[in-house]
Amino acid sequence: MQDKKILEVKHLSKKFGQTDVLKDIDGTVKSGQVICVIGPSGAGKSTFLRCLNLLEKPTSGEVNFEGTDLTNVDDKHLVNLRERMGMVFQSFNLFPNMTVLENLKLAPVRVKHLSDEEAEKTAMHLLGLVGLKEKAHVYPSSLSGGQQQRVAIARALAMNPEVMLFDEPTSALDPEMVGEVLEVMQKLANEGMTMVVVTHEMGFAKEVADEVWFMADGYILEKGKPEELFDNPQNERAKDFIGKIIQNV
Amino acid sequence: MKKSIKAIIQVIIMITALFTLTAWQASSASAADNSLQRVKQRGELIMVTSPDYPPYEFQVNKGGKSRIVGMDIDVAKKVARDLHVKLVIKSMNFDSLLVAIQTGKADMAIGGINPTATRRQSVDFSKIYYSGGQSFLINSSDVNKYKSVKNLKGATIGAQTGTLQYGLAKKKIPNSTVKGMDKSTDLVLALKTHKIDALGIEKPSAEAYVKNDPSLKMISSGYHLNKNEVGAAIAFKKGSNSLVNAVNKSIDQIKQQHLTDQYLASAGKYMKVNTVNTSMWHYWTYFAKGVEFTILISIVATFFGVLIGVVLALMRFSKQKWIRGLAISYTEFIRGTPLMVQVMFVYFGIGVVVNIPALISGMIAVSLNSGAYVAEIIRGGINSVAKGQTEAAESLGLSKSDMMRFVVLPQAFKNIWPALGNEFISLIKESSIVSIIGVTDLIYQLNIVRADTYRGVIPIFVAMVLYFIMTFALTRLLNHYEGKMKHAG
Ligand SMILES: Nc1ncnc2c1ncn2[C@@H]1O[C@H](COP(=O)(O)OP(=O)(O)O)[C@@H](O)[C@H]1O
Ligand SMILES: [Mg+2]
Repeated sequence: MQDKKILEVKHLSKKFGQTDVLKDIDGTVKSGQVICVIGPSGAGKSTFLRCLNLLEKPTSGEVNFEGTDLTNVDDKHLVNLRERMGMVFQSFNLFPNMTVLENLKLAPVRVKHLSDEEAEKTAMHLLGLVGLKEKAHVYPSSLSGGQQQRVAIARALAMNPEVMLFDEPTSALDPEMVGEVLEVMQKLANEGMTMVVVTHEMGFAKEVADEVWFMADGYILEKGKPEELFDNPQNERAKDFIGKIIQNV
Repeated sequence: MKKSIKAIIQVIIMITALFTLTAWQASSASAADNSLQRVKQRGELIMVTSPDYPPYEFQVNKGGKSRIVGMDIDVAKKVARDLHVKLVIKSMNFDSLLVAIQTGKADMAIGGINPTATRRQSVDFSKIYYSGGQSFLINSSDVNKYKSVKNLKGATIGAQTGTLQYGLAKKKIPNSTVKGMDKSTDLVLALKTHKIDALGIEKPSAEAYVKNDPSLKMISSGYHLNKNEVGAAIAFKKGSNSLVNAVNKSIDQIKQQHLTDQYLASAGKYMKVNTVNTSMWHYWTYFAKGVEFTILISIVATFFGVLIGVVLALMRFSKQKWIRGLAISYTEFIRGTPLMVQVMFVYFGIGVVVNIPALISGMIAVSLNSGAYVAEIIRGGINSVAKGQTEAAESLGLSKSDMMRFVVLPQAFKNIWPALGNEFISLIKESSIVSIIGVTDLIYQLNIVRADTYRGVIPIFVAMVLYFIMTFALTRLLNHYEGKMKHAG
């Protein structure tokens, strides 16, 4: 089980016009693994994550999801595969025109064709998981940032995904709200969810991650267990970067 | 960019082709003369006129009902009676009368039209049924200044655009400045407010004004003119010989029996009836009808404008380049041409191929026009929805149409709604342009009331207040709903 490959990226590259944002990326995510991706701003972390569920179309290379190369499937199948990958954004992106509960029910009803009751049952269960059951019928605008991000996590989970992608889920939050979101993510990891997380929360990475990938200039320059990479980085750029974030803490 | 230019050129070519077809149809119709036969078969004789020219033709309000009366109408009635058909009267701007018969909107145009050589090139004329002669209206206060036409040298002279008087004033009064306007009522007002010194007008008309308004006086033009430049004749589409000949028989009788004297006398009576009660209350049915049509046109145009706008906006998001190009060209073309030209094109241009009534033409033109603007409003509204929203929807596996329906459009609509409201409000104002093709909207009715009452300003004021009430009420209504929507989150 632990060895089952969920995502396998080979020679992935991405150009925006003339600029090479990703250059030859390789990496494997196995079932139940938590991968943390770190690196300086502009390294291409977001672009990498968005290439994993094809929100961004790679210029070349492969993104294999459970054995299917996503770069080679048509739009219809892509939608089917995409619903099995959840994504959580830095800016939450809840739908402001719907209540929390409606946010959670929309995709299960429209995409998975669950009945209204089934979708509602799952949604309430997940809201319980993120500790926001009593907010089911309010609109997102009345929630704090931390609460919105927890709802966004629950919304992604409602599709029962096999892997969750997080793009700096706590960096838009006030410091006092970071904890509640990380707590939910840790709970997910403990339950065996496969996760790829772009984050600068070293504490979280050390505690939860199976592997940390350091990205800079469109390459993954170093991969390793968190304690190895944080305490004894081999790559010069990684050393530099980790030094800086430790200073800032 | 290149593609859109290409598409624009395509549209221009299409329109040119349509025009050519239109022109060809118009000219080829003259090949076989079945003009009389058509009228008889139809059982109706359709005439166009510009009913703001008493005593030739003008509107009266009798028992709350509006009717077009005047010498010309009596002439036309006699013609119809002699042909054993019903007379149908359509009204529009004098400028448009000849175009209307050329494009087959009517069988004949009558309206104190002088059969000049220039006009004969584009239409056929009946015999002259009345010779009125040319004159000038001046202010009573100026009688000493402008004793005769010689004193008008260097003066500012007004005349109805497209009329003989306009051309004559230019040609025959040395150093004069000639100001053209559409309506004789406006010209009279301009004269009374000294924006012009004299008004070139047919003698019977001038006499009618002088009789009804002591502040006006008439002087003779003293022009030496041939009878084509003083007489009034009925205009027909070129090649309508059979119809012209039939009408000429009636005109012969009119002249033999001096029927025009009788017609003028009864027109004069109407004008007296008319001046009895010139209060605006007396004319409220006119204004009510105008408001009704203005609102009707605006509602219809808003409805179809939104429909067309949605289609165009969706076309802009199409994967096919040519569909996008088509939508872009349409929008650019409509926004790059005046509504007035579009209204005339639909009525006169397309009208040659399929005959569309004025009201429908007006609605079509205004809807087509509004559609282009609504498309831009919708596109702007959709683009204003944050990119994160579509990404979140995509990452959840929602289909494109579900994403539009549940996520993008409901949010876009919040931005679209106020802009659509503004569009509706501006339609109420801008649709006034349809009056040029004779649709009885508020502006048209306003001009009728002015011609009818010989009061230049008060009707304008009434119309202004009515427009304001309509737009203000609507603004309030829209604000109310906008507020409600905000509460919904
Ligand atoms: N849609 C885009 N078009 C052009 N350039 C982009 C686009 N998205 C990202 N980039 C560029 O790619 C680089 C990497 O961006 P990103 O993946 O967001 O980095 P990170 O998340 O590591 O900060 C940046 O230089 C950014 O300007
Ligand atoms: Mg980023």
